Amino acid sequence: MQLPAVLGEPIRFVLNWGRRYSLWVFNFGLACCAIEFIATSMGRHDFIRLGVIPFAHGPRQADLMVVSGTVTDKMAPAIKRLYDQMPEPKYVISFGACSNCGGPYWDSYSVTKGVDQIIPVDVYVPGCPPRPEALLHGILRLQDKIAAEHSGLGGVARPDELASPADRVGPPVGRSTESLTAPPVPPPAAQQ
Amino acid sequence: MSIPGEGLAKGLAVTLKTMTRRSHTQQYPDVAPELPPRSRGVIALLAENCTVCMLCARECPDWCIYIDSHKEEVAVPGAARPRQRNVLDRFDIDFSLCMYCGICIEVCPFDALYWSPEFEYAEYDIRDLLHDKEHLGEWMATVPPPPAHDPNGEPAKEEAAARKAAAPPATDQPSSGPPNARRRPGSGSRTDEEPP
Repeated sequence: MQLPAVLGEPIRFVLNWGRRYSLWVFNFGLACCAIEFIATSMGRHDFIRLGVIPFAHGPRQADLMVVSGTVTDKMAPAIKRLYDQMPEPKYVISFGACSNCGGPYWDSYSVTKGVDQIIPVDVYVPGCPPRPEALLHGILRLQDKIAAEHSGLGGVARPDELASPADRVGPPVGRSTESLTAPPVPPPAAQQ
Repeated sequence: MSIPGEGLAKGLAVTLKTMTRRSHTQQYPDVAPELPPRSRGVIALLAENCTVCMLCARECPDWCIYIDSHKEEVAVPGAARPRQRNVLDRFDIDFSLCMYCGICIEVCPFDALYWSPEFEYAEYDIRDLLHDKEHLGEWMATVPPPPAHDPNGEPAKEEAAARKAAAPPATDQPSSGPPNARRRPGSGSRTDEEPP
């Protein structure tokens, strides 16, 4: 839903200001990169200084998901499901080589080649694992991105290119409703 | 055995102890972090040193280095035939794939690759993490100088040769090692570099 244009720039600024400095983070720690994430949340690096609040109670209370670690094909449905549970102004940071594109396991049979194959990613942090400061830099990049975005009441509209057409809300594109109510096509006569 | 409130008193004692200490939080975006020496942030390329020997691309465990080149003929005046040399067309490192093992830097025989401690290159698009030749060359400005030579270590081969050439050939004795050994007791046993 788009804001009325008469509210304009100040409302957009206030909304984005609120969103960028209260990022409840949901850590999807899957491997060694999660240790660096925990180090970032502890006293030495302490990302609460940047407004990132760790240990959200669950994905339904979180704004930011940090996928840190190797995403396996078995874990991928869980990531997709928890991402779908997050409320709409939601952001994803892909932390480390494994979640960026598979990393050292890019040739493995069981590893998803990047978490961006299942969910949209806002910021990619490179490293194996990245330093805690690199995560802080990624968070700063994300806050710059949030400050620049034109969002409505429900956040930025993100059309999910990976969703199946059956899940799409609204009238189907390129297919008329007559095709659903048409009489069934008889099988070919050769099969009897 | 346990006194009631003992755990509370212990916890409060820890609280009081840490209350008097200064906070050790690093103020990263405002203050540059103190990185450890030889910190592995990003790989820098000195393209002039690269001879397209492909050792780095072949040794990379992730295969994240992409090299293209072509041969060029250089006419050297006075030479019988024109010489051939390799020209580097493309040198890309995919930092979304790189595992930062440093093998490429170890195997480079001509010191074309260096570690740089920079870590601030998170991107919005994963395609921007593929750093091309120019981008890798920009990281060269951030490469720290090499650490100073250990004063007790044995001198470099080139250094020893230069000193030998500069020394006056007054004494024809085949023992130029002992003066070295007298000055540096630690390297006294290394006198086997005599010319035959």
